[in-house]
Amino acid sequence: MIRHLFTLIWNRKRANFLLVTEIFFAFVVLFVLGSLLVDNYRKYTAPLGYTYEHVWQIDLDPNGQPISRQDATFERLIQLLKAVSGVRSVAATRSNTPFSFSDSSTDFKAGSKSTNSDIYIVGDDMQDVLSLQLAEGRWFNRHDEVAAHPPLVISQEARQALFAKGPALGKTVRGLDNQDFQVVGVLATSYRGRGEFQELEPAIFLRSAKLVGSADTTSFDQPRLLIRVQPTATAELEQRLTKEIAAVTGGWKSTVITLPEQRTIRMKFALAPMGGMVLVCGFLIFNVALGLFGVLWYNISQRRAEIGLRRAIGATGSRISGQFLGEILVVTTFGLAFGLLVAAQFPLLGVMNIRLPVYLASMALATALVYVLTAICALYPSLLAARIRPAVALREE
Amino acid sequence: MLLSYLKIAWKVLLRRKFFTFISLFGISFTLMILLVVYALYDHTVGPHTPEKKVDRLLFINRATVSYKNDNGTNNGTVSYSFLERYVRPLRTPEKISISTYFSSTAAYVGTQKLDVDLKYTDGQFWQVLDFDFVEGRPYTPSEVQSGAHVAVLNERTCRAYFGTISGVLGKTIETDRVRYQVIGVVKDIPGMRFNSYADMWAPLSTSTLDAKEPGYFGNCMAIVQARTPADIPAVQAEFNRVVDQVPVPDPKKHAKVYVYAGTLLSSTVRWFNNNSTPDDGVAALTGKVALLTLLFMLLPALNLINVNVSRMLERSSEIGVRKAFGATSGTLIRQFLVENVFLTLLGGVLGLVLASVVLHLIDSSGFIPYTTLTLNPRIFAGGLLLSLLFGVLSGVYPAYKMSKLQAVQALKGGRN
Repeated sequence: MIRHLFTLIWNRKRANFLLVTEIFFAFVVLFVLGSLLVDNYRKYTAPLGYTYEHVWQIDLDPNGQPISRQDATFERLIQLLKAVSGVRSVAATRSNTPFSFSDSSTDFKAGSKSTNSDIYIVGDDMQDVLSLQLAEGRWFNRHDEVAAHPPLVISQEARQALFAKGPALGKTVRGLDNQDFQVVGVLATSYRGRGEFQELEPAIFLRSAKLVGSADTTSFDQPRLLIRVQPTATAELEQRLTKEIAAVTGGWKSTVITLPEQRTIRMKFALAPMGGMVLVCGFLIFNVALGLFGVLWYNISQRRAEIGLRRAIGATGSRISGQFLGEILVVTTFGLAFGLLVAAQFPLLGVMNIRLPVYLASMALATALVYVLTAICALYPSLLAARIRPAVALREE
Repeated sequence: MLLSYLKIAWKVLLRRKFFTFISLFGISFTLMILLVVYALYDHTVGPHTPEKKVDRLLFINRATVSYKNDNGTNNGTVSYSFLERYVRPLRTPEKISISTYFSSTAAYVGTQKLDVDLKYTDGQFWQVLDFDFVEGRPYTPSEVQSGAHVAVLNERTCRAYFGTISGVLGKTIETDRVRYQVIGVVKDIPGMRFNSYADMWAPLSTSTLDAKEPGYFGNCMAIVQARTPADIPAVQAEFNRVVDQVPVPDPKKHAKVYVYAGTLLSSTVRWFNNNSTPDDGVAALTGKVALLTLLFMLLPALNLINVNVSRMLERSSEIGVRKAFGATSGTLIRQFLVENVFLTLLGGVLGLVLASVVLHLIDSSGFIPYTTLTLNPRIFAGGLLLSLLFGVLSGVYPAYKMSKLQAVQALKGGRN
């Protein structure tokens, strides 16, 4: 039966060529979209590494205060904010705060292994502010000021990249300007400052020694703070903070943004293109389905004589519709075979920088979807075919 | 002749409504999506208020300082002092304007806080760009020189602060504890025009910027106006010569300073790519976009071809008769192409209508702040061109197949 179907299709290969191409492209579209969505889903469900509820970000603008005096002012400000009721902890940070559109990375070396890692320069209280969980060692503290090598806390990905299975605590790592650092802690998970849709990449924390960049004229970092507030905090606290900051610093300007707000913006930027793509691809597939339906319907009305003859010599209605369904599934298989051949090139050539299991999952997904789609499109026309009455069909001939 | 082709096409369209629906749905939605994308592009870098003379403008906004031994780069927006030192003295441009990027300030209406995006500019800013003034006038270079505390507001801020947009000239607005006298009100500028966008514009001399500060990085930009569009390369060449002479901040650490003057398109692409190479990446982007567009149109085109081939077979007796009476293949191909282009143009008109609906939806959803996406003649022409392309792309193969039909077989009503 199946061999017979293949022969039927093969005999009409010129006429079926267009259908095969259409199914092929539909598969490729679904495959590429599927890969992106599955990959993003994988990232979305991976741990973020920190909590963002009740964390506020304060951007500060020294408003023309000389750089030499900013450090002392900043230190005074941090001490003051810690004492404000409603504020739980305060830590200095650089511009690459969670969900911001700013990032910085650099190379680190440990023995023969090296990795490019995101780098976060943070204050001593950051563990509490972001509720970071440590698997080994400890977080930074005051005593690190006098350490021989500046301390580092590394994420699980960074640990994997630099030390694999070996011990990490106490090891020295060479980084920025060939300076040596010592690992004092390892996070329990990854740390993804760019939000839920960031790849799981190494992250390394440095203790912020000098709060504001020194006399280096190319540095343009502004002082910035992350604070964890009590869950009961309201906009009233925000207003109070802005006033206090202006008073204690002698006119620094400040802007308060909450991390959940920042996350919403980041999400919007990540989801808008994805939503657009899903809409566009949805339209393409719907378009293909409509076309397929029309062509199949037309083909069947063209083959009334053949159907009438088969019915006259004893084929049942279900055998007829089975034949048409089978034919279209064979055509689909041809299209899918080409499509899978192309899809296999993606992991081989590393086109989209996505891992193999994701590709395999989306191949399976796209294959199933295309089969279901063509079956649905063929269902109504083949039912129509089954209902053709032999006497009527044959008389037309 | 053409008229009778169109009449036939119309009759064919009415014959099988479902097929017509499939064709028109595919065409109109494809064009709608392409038109919306094009409208977004046009909205970002096309000649719109205030950058109306976009073909004569160059933008200088980002600097890159590279480290020695390929040790990475520092990227950022340029400082005021850098622009005053290296851009202001340029000889080839007609006009040069220096301004900061907008930054958020706080004004208070009663106890309610109002976010005001404030941009400091020089007087030339208003000559280089063409704002639509609802009331009043811009400030002049001499007012900037004298440090006058005057400001131009956009309609939204004006309404939010004063409750009205008429009769506000001469009134005072206070933001971040500085008082300005309002001398002009302009229409809202979309946020995507980030080189000119702000809620309030004030003279550079009222800011804390220092023209003698040594750093290269800051929060500023320059807009350079050439005398004619043909003068653009000369301005760029002069600026490149100047940048080549710029000393690095720290000769021990740094290798070179890169700053480019690009058109609105090229500086926007550079900005998003964080690019610091001489090639602005526009050519590569155009190539990619063209390829994607073609790929995107391929599937609906294939679909249309499929449907067209089916419909054509339905008309085999008509073709047989015409062939028997001596019509050549060329005539038949022409007829079918005309019919198909007619169909796609019809779809194109539908697509334009759909696109205007979608653009209106995007505008009113507030997803992108202050957008006023509308169909303009450029987009209309783009849509027409795309439907023609689509019509030819999807009509050639069925027309060829149709002309190849054997007259005898066609008359019998058989298939190939």
